[in-house]
Amino acid sequence: MSTALETRGLGKRYGRNWALRECSLAVPAGRVAGLVGPNGAGKTTLLHLAVGLLRPDAGSVRVLGDTPETGLPRIGFVAQDAPLYRDFHAADLITMGQKLNKRWDSGFARDRLTQLRIPLDRKVGKLSAGQRAQVALALALARKPDLLLLDEPVASLDPLARREFLQVLMGGVAEHGTTVLLSSHLVADLERVCDYLIVLNESRVQVLGGVEDLLATHKVLVGPRRADRAGPVAGVATVIRESHTDRQTSLLVRTHGPVLDPAWMARDLTLEDLVLAYLAEPSSGSLPGPDRLGIENGMEMTS
Amino acid sequence: MIWLTWRQHRLQAAYLLLGTLAVSAALFPIGRAMHSAFDNDGLAECLRTNGNPEFIRPAEGMGCGEFADLFMGRFGSLLPLGILLVLLPMLVGLFLGAPLVAREVEQGTHRLVWTQGVSRLRWATTKFGLITLFGLALAAGYAVLLTWWIEPLAAAAGSRLEWLVFDLQGVVPLAYTLFAIALGIAAGAVSRKLLPAMGITLAGFVVARVLVAWLGRPRYQEPIERRISVVTDRLPNELHGEWNLSSGVYDASGRQIVANGNRYCPPEALANDRAPGVCDPTTYNLEVYQPAGRFWTFQWIEAGIFAVLAAALLAFAVYRVRNRIS
Repeated sequence: MSTALETRGLGKRYGRNWALRECSLAVPAGRVAGLVGPNGAGKTTLLHLAVGLLRPDAGSVRVLGDTPETGLPRIGFVAQDAPLYRDFHAADLITMGQKLNKRWDSGFARDRLTQLRIPLDRKVGKLSAGQRAQVALALALARKPDLLLLDEPVASLDPLARREFLQVLMGGVAEHGTTVLLSSHLVADLERVCDYLIVLNESRVQVLGGVEDLLATHKVLVGPRRADRAGPVAGVATVIRESHTDRQTSLLVRTHGPVLDPAWMARDLTLEDLVLAYLAEPSSGSLPGPDRLGIENGMEMTS
Repeated sequence: MIWLTWRQHRLQAAYLLLGTLAVSAALFPIGRAMHSAFDNDGLAECLRTNGNPEFIRPAEGMGCGEFADLFMGRFGSLLPLGILLVLLPMLVGLFLGAPLVAREVEQGTHRLVWTQGVSRLRWATTKFGLITLFGLALAAGYAVLLTWWIEPLAAAAGSRLEWLVFDLQGVVPLAYTLFAIALGIAAGAVSRKLLPAMGITLAGFVVARVLVAWLGRPRYQEPIERRISVVTDRLPNELHGEWNLSSGVYDASGRQIVANGNRYCPPEALANDRAPGVCDPTTYNLEVYQPAGRFWTFQWIEAGIFAVLAAALLAFAVYRVRNRIS
């Protein structure tokens, strides 16, 4: 199986408002995928649909080949703010996991928390936010999931705890080749760990693809000043953002081949620049990334 | 799931158990005093001697009213305590039922527990089932104690079917408790917040109880009517156990002369004719009542009503948990 998570035309509505619509995407197995988008873009809705907490109003979603339903094994989930029973000791939570899961590794969870110097005999309500996030992650990993979904796991952590959390996460999933889908509204968090990217904007999928591919096909071109939205440049599929100074024009583009025109100087860009450029242009849908890429990818994965 | 339910609710359970024990410890000595007074101060003896018939002839000293008045003078002030006692099942609903779903959602932990290897259906049925069983066990203890406790008070006050007295004994306390817990759970599954859930439970419990008791209970079976001439020396025995729904005085044409009251004239008063017109032998008292023998029928009917309501609320809560909470 090559697809861990796949959605087709997925939509969820609250009253009249669509929290997510026409969402078609696929996360290949074994990837660490980042789910980015501004607050309210539908990230949490997508994750809740994927773990079966929500049911779709349109389209379909499949995880590890199944229709999601709560209580499925092989899927780990850490909800936003890492909810835990605050009057439980960490050891109680491990016992709980053992009672509620057929596939469960208590020793793993205990070792991990001991390594992180998190006391097992203290109420988790008294731990720091970073420690609680680690406990939640240890509980999710102890289920030995094939797919691990995390909703804004580092949003409430300070930069040091953030780095430590992501390190532990990457160490934990590397052992089993777990597929990860990790949401965040900060690209910088994801840049270090993700090799796959999904950008959600205004309830729709805007960008989808491997991080390396995305970075290889997106360039900033700098050249002499030209008129706004002037003719095409050889090798450029789409212009996502265009800006001008008195003497210069710079274009953020998606390419479909090398840009050989000597008038333009091509420069690489960071993942953050790329995401921000797309988020600033929600209408760049007709252009490169969004739905078309999603469907192409989906077909590729299932064939 | 059983372990988790125990771990999550053991404190609540302990507090409720302690509360129940404290109430029992307070009620028990009072109950002993009442039973002792009932048995030893003449009332029990009197009822045994006259056989507690439906009608008595006060002129022949058949009634036990004096002994009953004596008893009620001593313990009648306890009856208002019944208002507090009928609210105890509601407390179980407030503290066990309402937080069950509401606190889970409020703290977001439903997303932790529902994404383990147990389906929401199993989570809901196990938790609802265990909590309900615990509540019923408490209620059973409460019902046994109160049935014993209220017995002499009910006998001296006249009827076991009377308001408050009926509500504190037999099987209905179990049904009320079941209903309160189910209402609390369902309210939490709708409001998803603890305080509104407790508010809904409180209001819903009081409204349902008052509606059923006031509108339903007097009509569970067709009431019985009895006509008693105004001129008589045989009066209805107030300790016989009828639950009087209404009484009035009517003339021969069926027109009501006195509402909500009785009029009795001994035959010798008619002979003396001290009050012409008042003791007209063609006028009669009309009493509408439920006989004492229907006590258990009424208990099971009322318990059934609340059990059905509880089952519907629990099913609704399971539906909400499975489909409407994320």
